[in-house]
Amino acid sequence: MKGSVAVVAELGRRSIRQTFRRPQLIAPLLVIPTLLLAVQAAGAGRAIDLPGFPPVESFFDFLLAGAMLQSALLAGNSGGIALAIDIEMGFTDRLLAAPIPRFAIVAGRLAGTAAMGAVTAVWFLAIGLIFGVRIEEGLLGALLMIALVTLAALSFGTLGAALALRSGSASVVQGTFPLVFVILFLSTAFFPADLLLEPARTIARFNPLSFIAEAVRDPVISVFSARELLEGLAGIVLVGAAGLALCSLALRRRLRLG
Amino acid sequence: MPAIEVSNLQRAFSAGVLAVAGIDLRVDAGEIYAFLGPNGAGKTTTVRMLTTLLRPTGGSATVAGHDVVAEPAAVRAAIGVALQEAALDPLMTGRELIRMQATLHGIPRAEGQRRADDLLRRVGLVEAGDRRVGTYSGGMKRRLDLASALVHEPRVLFLDEPTTGLDPVSRKSIWEEVEALNREGTTVFLTTQYLEEADQLADRVGIISAGRIVAEGTPAALKAEVGKPRMELVLAAGERGDCVEVLSRFGDPLPPRDGTLMIEVAAGSAAIAPVVRALDEAGITVESLDVVEPTLDDVFVAKTGHHLEGDEASEPGTGEAEAVSG
Amino acid sequence: MDIALATDWATIRALVRRSANELIRVPGAAVPGVLAPTIFFLGLTAVFGNLTLLPGFTTGSYASFMVPVSMLQGAGFTGAAMGVNLARDIELGLFDRFLASPAPRWVLLTGLVLSAAIRSFIPATFVFLIALAVGAHLPGPGGLIVTYLCVVGTATIAACWSATIALRFKTQSAAPLMQTVMLALVLCTTAYAPQELLTGWLATAAEYNPFTQVVDAARQGFVGGVTWEGTWPAFAVIAALTALLGALALRGMRRTAY
Repeated sequence: MKGSVAVVAELGRRSIRQTFRRPQLIAPLLVIPTLLLAVQAAGAGRAIDLPGFPPVESFFDFLLAGAMLQSALLAGNSGGIALAIDIEMGFTDRLLAAPIPRFAIVAGRLAGTAAMGAVTAVWFLAIGLIFGVRIEEGLLGALLMIALVTLAALSFGTLGAALALRSGSASVVQGTFPLVFVILFLSTAFFPADLLLEPARTIARFNPLSFIAEAVRDPVISVFSARELLEGLAGIVLVGAAGLALCSLALRRRLRLG
Repeated sequence: MPAIEVSNLQRAFSAGVLAVAGIDLRVDAGEIYAFLGPNGAGKTTTVRMLTTLLRPTGGSATVAGHDVVAEPAAVRAAIGVALQEAALDPLMTGRELIRMQATLHGIPRAEGQRRADDLLRRVGLVEAGDRRVGTYSGGMKRRLDLASALVHEPRVLFLDEPTTGLDPVSRKSIWEEVEALNREGTTVFLTTQYLEEADQLADRVGIISAGRIVAEGTPAALKAEVGKPRMELVLAAGERGDCVEVLSRFGDPLPPRDGTLMIEVAAGSAAIAPVVRALDEAGITVESLDVVEPTLDDVFVAKTGHHLEGDEASEPGTGEAEAVSG
Repeated sequence: MDIALATDWATIRALVRRSANELIRVPGAAVPGVLAPTIFFLGLTAVFGNLTLLPGFTTGSYASFMVPVSMLQGAGFTGAAMGVNLARDIELGLFDRFLASPAPRWVLLTGLVLSAAIRSFIPATFVFLIALAVGAHLPGPGGLIVTYLCVVGTATIAACWSATIALRFKTQSAAPLMQTVMLALVLCTTAYAPQELLTGWLATAAEYNPFTQVVDAARQGFVGGVTWEGTWPAFAVIAALTALLGALALRGMRRTAY
C-alpha cells in the first residue's frame, strides 16, 4: 500500500509538471470559458430581470460557477487527451509492464487533472473578485468553491480517462470536446432550470452537472445550504464512480486484448 | 551566361548565427553541380535562397540570368525545384499533382494533361499515377517530386538531397534520371551528404562546411589535390621489423591506422607486384594489401578536419574525426 | 480573357480543388466544422430562449435571433480551419511548392480564401436547416441572400486573418489564436441580445465593434424586414476588413518567400 502511494505520487507529479510546462495546453481551458463568461454575462445581463430569476446581484455572479465547471469539464477532457497520448507513445505500456498497481496509472493522471481544476477555480475566483463579485459566504465559501471545482475536475477526469483507455486515441478523446458544451447547455450551469426551454429544462433537472453547479454557485449568491452542498457532492461522487467503473472495464479490456 | 552565379551570399538567422557565411560560386549552363556537406552545413539554406524561398541577408545571386531578390518571379518561372523529404499532399494522386504543378506554371489544361502522361511514363509511375500519394513508397515519392519539378521544362533544376533515406535501387534510378536530364541540356544543382552521389553525378563539387565553401572543383581534381593513391597493408601478427624500411623504398610512409600500414604510391596499382616481391624477399608475411585511390572523403578530411559520412548527427567541428585522422 | 488572368484563374481553381479534396476524400472531415456551430445554436437557444420575454426583442423566437450568429460563427470556424491547414502545409513543406512557383502571391491567397468562402456554405446551411426544423422564421429571398453574403464575407475575413497568423507563426499550435479571435469578433457584438439590452462593457464594445454591423445585417431577414440602410454598413465592414487583413496576409506571404 505504501508503495502504491509512492507510485501514484510520482506519476501525479509527472502529470502535474507536464500540465504546467505546457501553457498552450492550459491556456484554452481558461481562455474560452473566460471569453464566454465575459460575453454572456454582459450579453444576457438583463436576464436577471426575467420573472422567476433567483435574486442575484448580477448575471455575472450567477454565471461564475458555470464558467468554473466549464473549465473543469475541459480539464477532464484534456487530461484524457494527455493519457491517450501516453498510450499512443507507449508510455502506458511501460507502466503496465512495471510491478505497480493498475489503478496507479489512472490515479496519477487524475492528479494532473485535479491540479488543473484547482487552477481554473482560482483563476475564476480572481476574475470574479476583480469584477466585483461579492462572495456571500466569504473566505470559507471561496475555499469551498475551490474544493468543489477541484473534485469536479477529478470526477470529470475519470470519464476522460475511461475514454482514453477504451479508444487509445488522442484524436478520439479530442473529438468529444463539443460534448462538453452539450452537457453544459443541458444543465443549470448558465441559467436557472425554470427558465430553460424544453427539452433542456427537463434534462437539466436530472443532469448531475446541475447539482454540482448549484453547489458551487451557492456560496456566491446565498447563505450556506447543507442540502445544496450534499447534492453537489453526490453529483460528483456519482460521475466519479461511473467514470472509475468505465476506466476499470476499459483497462481490463485493454489488458485482455493486449 | 552562367546558369547560377553567386557572390558573397549570406543568410543570418536570429541571434546573429550565419547559416551561410558568404559563399561564391558559378555554375555554367549544362553542368551538374553538387553541393556536398553534412547536415547543418548550410546546403538547404543556400538552396532556399537560390529558389526564392528565403531572402538572403547579404550578397547576391542570379539564377538563369535573373536576380533572386529583384526578379523572383522570373527566377521561379525558369527553375524546377524538388525539395528535401519530397513533401507531397497525401490526398492527391500523382497525376493530379503534376497537373496542378503545370497549372501553377501557366501551362494550359490539355498540354498539362499530355505532360503529366509523359512524365509519369518517364519516371515509371504510369500504374501508380492515379493512386493517392499517401500510398507511395519513399522512392516513388521522390520520383514523382522530380517529375513534377520538370513539368515546365525548367532550364535549371534544384534537387535538395534527392536520395537521402532511399534504398540503393531507388537511389540508382534517381541518378539515372538526373543524368538523362542533364544530357538533354538541363543544368542541375543538387545537394547531397553522400560522397558517392557527388562523385558519380557531378561535373563539379563544392564542399560546404559551417556555411562556407571550403573546396571546389571536379571530383578528380579535388582528389588529386589531397594526395596520391596509397597502399594499405596488414601484416601477419608480430611482423613489423624491417617492413617500414622496405616500404619506404616505394613511397613516403603515412601514419599507420588501426594496425594498417600506409604508404603513398604514385604508381598506384602498378606498385603492388614490386612491393609484394620486396616484402617476400625480406621474409615478411603480408596478410592483406590494397591500393586505395583518394576519395572525396579524404578531400573532406583534408579541408575540414573530419569525416563526412557516419558523422551526420554530430555538429561540424566536434571531436570525433580528429581521433580517426590523427 | 487575358492570358495572364486565365492562368491565374486556373491556378485559383486548382487550389480550390485541392482544398476540396480534404472534404471529399477524408471521411468525416466536414463533421467538426458543422458540429460546433450546431451545438452552440441549439444550446444557446435552449439556455437563453426566454430572453425574448424582455422588452426590446423584435422577435418572440430566440432561435430566429440566434441562427444568423451561429451561421457566421460556422463561417468563422471554416476560415480559421483554412488557416490551420495552411499552417500544416507550411510545417510539412507542402506550401513551398506553391511559393517556388511563378504564380502571383495574390493568386495563392485568393485560392485559399475562396476555398474557405465556398466551404462556409456547408456549416451555414446545416445550421440554417436545423434552425428551421426547431421553428426559426424562414426569411424571404432578399434576407437570405444578405445572410449568405455575410457568411461568405465572414469566412473571407477569417481566412485572411488565419492565413496571416499561419504565415507569421508557421505552426498549427497557433490554431487557438486564429479561432479565439474570430469567436471574439463574432460574439462581442449584438450576438446575444439587441444593443439596447446589452450591459456593462459589451454595450460599449458592441457599439464600436464593426462586426456588429455584419451580425445585424445577417439577422434582418430572420427578425424583420431587410433594408438597404441595414445592409450596406455590413458590406462596407466586410470590404474594409478583407482589404486590411488580405494586405496583412499578402505581406506575410511575401515575408515568407518575398
